[in-house]
Amino acid sequence: MTIEVMVGNKAAATAAKLSRVQVAVAFPVTPQTTIVEYLNEFITKGEMDCEFINVEGELSAQVVVQAASRVGARTFCCTSGPGCLYMHHPMHDTSSLRLPVVMAVVHRGNKGMQPDHTDLMSHIMTGWIQWYVENNQEVLDSIIMAYRVAEDMRVRIPIAVGYDGYILSYTAEPVDVPEQEEVDDFLPPYKPMPSLMPEDFDPKSPMWWRVPWEEHHKIIVNAKEVIKEVNEEFGKRFGRSYGNGLVEEYRCEDAEAVIVAMGTIASTARDAIDNLRAEGKPVGLVKLKCLVPFPYEDFQRIGSEVRAIGMIDRNVCLGVGGVGHTFIRNAIYDLEERPKVLGFHAGLAGKEVKVSDIERMAEKVLKAARGESVSPLVEWV
Amino acid sequence: MERLTIKDIPLEEYTITPGSACQGCGPALAARLVFKALGNKVIRHGVPSCPDSVTATPRTFSVFESAGAALTGVSRALKILGRDDVMAVGFIGDGGTYDIGFQALSAAAERNENILWFCKNNEAYMNTGIQRSSATPLYAWTTTTQVGPRGRGKETPRKNLPFIIAAHHVPYVATASIAFPTDLIGKVLHAKKLKGFRYIDILCPCPTGWRFDPSRTIEVARLAVQTGMWALYEIIDGREFRLTYKPKKLKPVEEYLKIQGRFRHLTDREIEEIQRMVDENWERLLKLDEMGEFPL
Repeated sequence: MTIEVMVGNKAAATAAKLSRVQVAVAFPVTPQTTIVEYLNEFITKGEMDCEFINVEGELSAQVVVQAASRVGARTFCCTSGPGCLYMHHPMHDTSSLRLPVVMAVVHRGNKGMQPDHTDLMSHIMTGWIQWYVENNQEVLDSIIMAYRVAEDMRVRIPIAVGYDGYILSYTAEPVDVPEQEEVDDFLPPYKPMPSLMPEDFDPKSPMWWRVPWEEHHKIIVNAKEVIKEVNEEFGKRFGRSYGNGLVEEYRCEDAEAVIVAMGTIASTARDAIDNLRAEGKPVGLVKLKCLVPFPYEDFQRIGSEVRAIGMIDRNVCLGVGGVGHTFIRNAIYDLEERPKVLGFHAGLAGKEVKVSDIERMAEKVLKAARGESVSPLVEWV
Repeated sequence: MERLTIKDIPLEEYTITPGSACQGCGPALAARLVFKALGNKVIRHGVPSCPDSVTATPRTFSVFESAGAALTGVSRALKILGRDDVMAVGFIGDGGTYDIGFQALSAAAERNENILWFCKNNEAYMNTGIQRSSATPLYAWTTTTQVGPRGRGKETPRKNLPFIIAAHHVPYVATASIAFPTDLIGKVLHAKKLKGFRYIDILCPCPTGWRFDPSRTIEVARLAVQTGMWALYEIIDGREFRLTYKPKKLKPVEEYLKIQGRFRHLTDREIEEIQRMVDENWERLLKLDEMGEFPL
């Protein structure tokens, strides 16, 4: 184990290297570009035995990893904003064919260069597992964990690991880099299912297939248990884990209200919660890491323990509302006693979210928890 | 290419007659001939096309626009897994080659990926019901280039894709026809021995889309070549050019056009225009053949 100060994009490339990725593909797009450069450097120096393909666009990038994964190579792909959107069509097949591709998505919003979560959230219906991570250490750890989850025979579903562009991609933080042997022990070699080699060919097997909708949905829902297992085992081996793998609760004990945040906003929120707790205000933070499959059970439990939840969405599903807000309201609907669920849109198009912004949001949620009158309208911060 | 006689064509069959093929299907016959020559140490990649080819080999499938990328993925995975004995083979229609798949095709050719790409070219989107592609010839009727007071069929000649691929300076580019099986198989056997990006464009008449009797597929395919509407040649390393079928005199294009419903509307002047185009093209090809050089 060594501590290295590195930017988020280097953490992602390092995770791919430690995971012994065999085929890596990407098309450069700001702010993902330096992942491509780091991978090229690792391969050119001989530190990584990997086929790297400089494709002509992201759609091709997604198809290359899909086909290489089908043949039997462990694959890595990375993208941002517009490139992420350009991949949409083949992403459906990567998941329908149950190929354990892992992809880093360095968030860049759809209305400019700055980050929000609208790029990856535009793919909610592609059948990919989606994680939103908070810092460079979690980038590295989550990519390694993602291979373990995606390649688990109970899952075999691709995983996108999203992190905020610029805020993490180009910002250096100390990262604890595990030894290669430790990662090898955690992550056994990948085997395709079924084999595509001519010697294993069965003329009676279907020539191609896509997993039917109902089965596909259930596989992704059931992946929650595998994600929890892998997160726990990672914690035992490496001394770090992230809540239960789906959500991470921070100072939620005896909380009357919680705010929910994703990605780097969760880091800012930790400070806000500390400040409010210091003032004796019983508020906590829930970091929502795994958006798909959505942790309904966790929000039902949290919803029965607090009187109000405030969701900070760094996204908007136009004409509908915040994605997290909508999902949380859905999760708590069946509770006998439902908490209030307030919504905030913050940090869209990279707009800065300050500690004081979150303090104000949390205080509003606490007021709602205590029965004081607050506007039920979703707020644009 | 390798020289062989009809007796040298392998007896083994690697295609399973596809249920989706019409009577007299040109592309189905192309698949049969190609895979006889390739054998089964192959991962065959397909995208939507007509008919849905079925071979007794492993296969992969991906979205319409992506064959060049998918074959890259197959080929690179085989390489890193040490399986150089297995070939990455694309068997792709003219839509997936000339049009929607062109970007990924050009990119794979430019990277000289270790891929063998067959275009089963039936000169239109037959899978969706006879819509024009950029492989559709001048004045051909299709459901999107109709004939009437304001339409004479397709308004422009087809794209010269084999030359465009050759301009990527890849190891091997050839054209072929299902009516010339020894020429076709000779080219496949040669391409099979090479590494890098190889492209063979096979003209495959479609009785349904071209509007002729299914019993005449081979006759139509043969006339395409004998009239110069579809010349047979090969281009090596983007440098050497060689015609592989060189009749002393071409037959008139009228013989080819008159037996197909898609050209039924042509006037004498339009037939003359096509004849002039074919003659000029043939002169150019004869010059290239004489020089033995591909000029790009």
